[in-house]
Amino acid sequence: MARFVMIMDTRRCIGCHSCTVACKVNNELPVDMIYNPVFTHGPNGVFPHVSMTYYPLICMHCENPPCVGCCPSGASQQEADGIVWVDQNTCIGCKACIQACPYRARHENPKTGTVQKCDFCKERVREGLEPFCVETCHQRARIFGDLDDPESEVSQMVNSMHTLQLLPEIGTDPQVYYIVTPGGQG
Amino acid sequence: MSSKEDLKREASAVRKSCCFFCHQNCGVLAYVKDGKVLAIEGDPEHPVSRGGLCTRGNIALQHLNHPARINVPLKRVGARGSGQWERVSWDQALDEIAARLVSLKEEYGAETVATAGGTQRANDWARRRFMNLFGSPNGFHNAHLCWIPTFMIETAIYGWCPFEIDLANSRLIVLWGHNPGASGMPEMRGIFDLKQNGLKVIVIDPRYTESASKADLWLPLRPGSDVALALAWLNVIIWEGLYDQTFIENCCIGFEELAEHVRQYTPEWAAPLTWLDPELIRKGARMYAANKPGNIQWGVSIDQSGRSAGAGIHARALLRAVTGNLDAPGSDLLCGPSPDFITDEEMEANEWLPEEQKAKQIGSDRYKLTTWPGYGRIAAITKEVWGKAPTAEWMCEAHPPSVFRAILTEKPYPVKALIVLATNPINSYGRTDLVLEALRKVDFLVTMEYWMTPTAMLSDYIFPAASPLERPTITTTYGCSDTLIASERAIQPMFERRTDYELWRGLGLRMGQEEMWPWENLEEANYYRIYPLGYDDVGSYDEFVEKHRFHFPEREYYKYGRVGFATPSRRIELVSSTLRELGYPAMPTYAAPVENEIDDPDLARKFPLVLTSGSGFMPFHHSEHFQIKELRFLKHEPYVDINPETAKDLGISMGDWVWIETRRGRIKQKANLTQAVHPKVVVTQRGWWYPEREAAEPELGGCTESNTNVLTDVSDEACDPLGGSWANRGLLCRVYRVEQSEADGR
Repeated sequence: MARFVMIMDTRRCIGCHSCTVACKVNNELPVDMIYNPVFTHGPNGVFPHVSMTYYPLICMHCENPPCVGCCPSGASQQEADGIVWVDQNTCIGCKACIQACPYRARHENPKTGTVQKCDFCKERVREGLEPFCVETCHQRARIFGDLDDPESEVSQMVNSMHTLQLLPEIGTDPQVYYIVTPGGQG
Repeated sequence: MSSKEDLKREASAVRKSCCFFCHQNCGVLAYVKDGKVLAIEGDPEHPVSRGGLCTRGNIALQHLNHPARINVPLKRVGARGSGQWERVSWDQALDEIAARLVSLKEEYGAETVATAGGTQRANDWARRRFMNLFGSPNGFHNAHLCWIPTFMIETAIYGWCPFEIDLANSRLIVLWGHNPGASGMPEMRGIFDLKQNGLKVIVIDPRYTESASKADLWLPLRPGSDVALALAWLNVIIWEGLYDQTFIENCCIGFEELAEHVRQYTPEWAAPLTWLDPELIRKGARMYAANKPGNIQWGVSIDQSGRSAGAGIHARALLRAVTGNLDAPGSDLLCGPSPDFITDEEMEANEWLPEEQKAKQIGSDRYKLTTWPGYGRIAAITKEVWGKAPTAEWMCEAHPPSVFRAILTEKPYPVKALIVLATNPINSYGRTDLVLEALRKVDFLVTMEYWMTPTAMLSDYIFPAASPLERPTITTTYGCSDTLIASERAIQPMFERRTDYELWRGLGLRMGQEEMWPWENLEEANYYRIYPLGYDDVGSYDEFVEKHRFHFPEREYYKYGRVGFATPSRRIELVSSTLRELGYPAMPTYAAPVENEIDDPDLARKFPLVLTSGSGFMPFHHSEHFQIKELRFLKHEPYVDINPETAKDLGISMGDWVWIETRRGRIKQKANLTQAVHPKVVVTQRGWWYPEREAAEPELGGCTESNTNVLTDVSDEACDPLGGSWANRGLLCRVYRVEQSEADGR
């Protein structure tokens, strides 16, 4: 069985937001709904002794997703391959999952009244394609793949490099891994 | 709702098109059916972009189908700038315009017709071809601000511009006033790939940019002081003995003279000019000289420095020569023009422009290097050595501010008509008040555009331009590379949009130029250009795209051993005979920024901060894309970078609207408090106008409100004597809060 994960290589991210726009136009999201913002951390320090790092964010597709258990309608669900998604036909728009998500990865669509989120472009990845945000990235700062496949780039990276997860202490076990080096230097 | 994957399955063909929202022309696969584009994605097989698309590349369909696009030819019916238009046919518009141009030519001479472009966003050999056959030497772009002075100075001293960098074999790259992290996505990827193998990166930039954040060494110099830094690097490399003696002996002349000349330019001399510690200057110079082979990638900043641009470009160019970082594996390569396909220059029909018309080119009496006097001399030498010349469009143009002044003053002669294509001069050219006044005054103004830009608003006719996906594109680095990448149209143009080729050809056909325009469309012209490549399996341009896509000749290092350097002496001229012949210093000599605190302390008391402007930032390109909400949400308003310490002194908080003022005017942008800049430096964003505002006088899309070109200096005293660059960088300014009452008014 596959376990889809994403690696964010902050050594290579330059904060261009191509991923943000690719996601938006290809998934036809409303202008104010952003599945994958990029945060600029810095410049930190005092000129000219400064550093800066860009952090691409996205749904963490947690191993233990708090947004699934809290869903009263069963719309919010986790697939066997790890992908967490919301069935738009059964979502009742109660927004419990928005409250539950510690990563602010869920968004209410005011037109439909339902909650939407990144689903790792599941239709595409199951056909062997990459998510839009990965495909568009000139810098290969986002790497997607199957952690259960020992030959995959992601499993080799996760198993051989120092990576970080966001908020590891709350037990969600996010499946988005960050490669971060001190001072943002590659 | 069909998903993108469903749309791709539904398509009847996949076309190998490209993006056209900057000059990288990243590969785009277009999924088409029945003349419509259903979906696009990055082309993973494209040799440069390898599947990547930036923010702009992603919005090709939003651009193609945008409701605000101009789709039919328009003719002004009310007063100029009143926003009243009638729809006319292409034939009617072309007939009327051709008749008007002919009558102006009869009354004032062909030179009374000028044409303005922006960056490389059209098939400009066709523009040049038309202008040459018509008889006017007065075409121009923002060439003088972007690469062209660099190209011409480097060609003068070593016979071609070494813009092909052999990064894969390099140990170090200098990004000098260049931020590929915001403007050159494929290039940045290459740098990241090679950093993992140990490539070192030096960034020279007043601002802590995306690229600087990934660099091994950052030199945050005073804006506009690049010439002092380059001269000091020459001093260090020569007088610390870090130069390449063998290369200099075999390939260069004038080394002793240059060594003596730069002796005065010590790091200690440069320190107060550049605001850099002398040891930091030494460290950078030693790093470049010691990590061979290395590259100095071209960056736009020096080209935009105005008065000191030529000297700065010249000094930077000599760094490659004295270190031997030219045409060797891993260095900057002198590839020369393509011997294999027909170049832009060969399509331009330059031989048709009479000598007496060349002599009338506006600005050629003063800015000789980038006009007919310098270009003519240099092109003659490159033809002797390479067999071909650089593109005349771009490299040999009228001086834009001088043309705008000629419109107003009728000196040296009246300029009565301006054809604007692929540019919005009100936001892209220096001194907005001058440009605005000229465009309001010029007798006849024709524009070809995607959008109702402030310039289009003032036009007499507007032609609808074909979108990136509606045109075939050949990519050859302004016609000067020996490589070629070919892309095809995804679809025929929608509505009545056409390519610029059809505009120039349409005018030409109405002026008796039939024999000179044998190609009915761009595919036919492009096929003519690639035919000499000799592919037997190809019977059309599109077939070349489908089967081959690109032409990359085998890399040949040390080509100069076979062909020689294209200079009068056939050597690299560290003391340039060509520049001397044109009346310029044969070696780079320090020139101060147009406005600076050392030469004019009184001015610096009134305007205590140093302004730099003009650098690229995501997601916009020059003055484009403000209409597209899928991009605009990222940066809804213009921002000026200012150091928090300075902002505190001025009572400015994050996000406040502030005035940025120079001697020439003031604009409003929002304050971005950041440690990325020196406390005395502010960085404005370029290009801003507001398409959501009124598209008529007096508002003209808010084109002056946040437009950094209000602040720039285009006076002859501010311009570089060699290449005509006007001053965008290193100007003195002051910044203060927009008062609430003023802010409410906007």
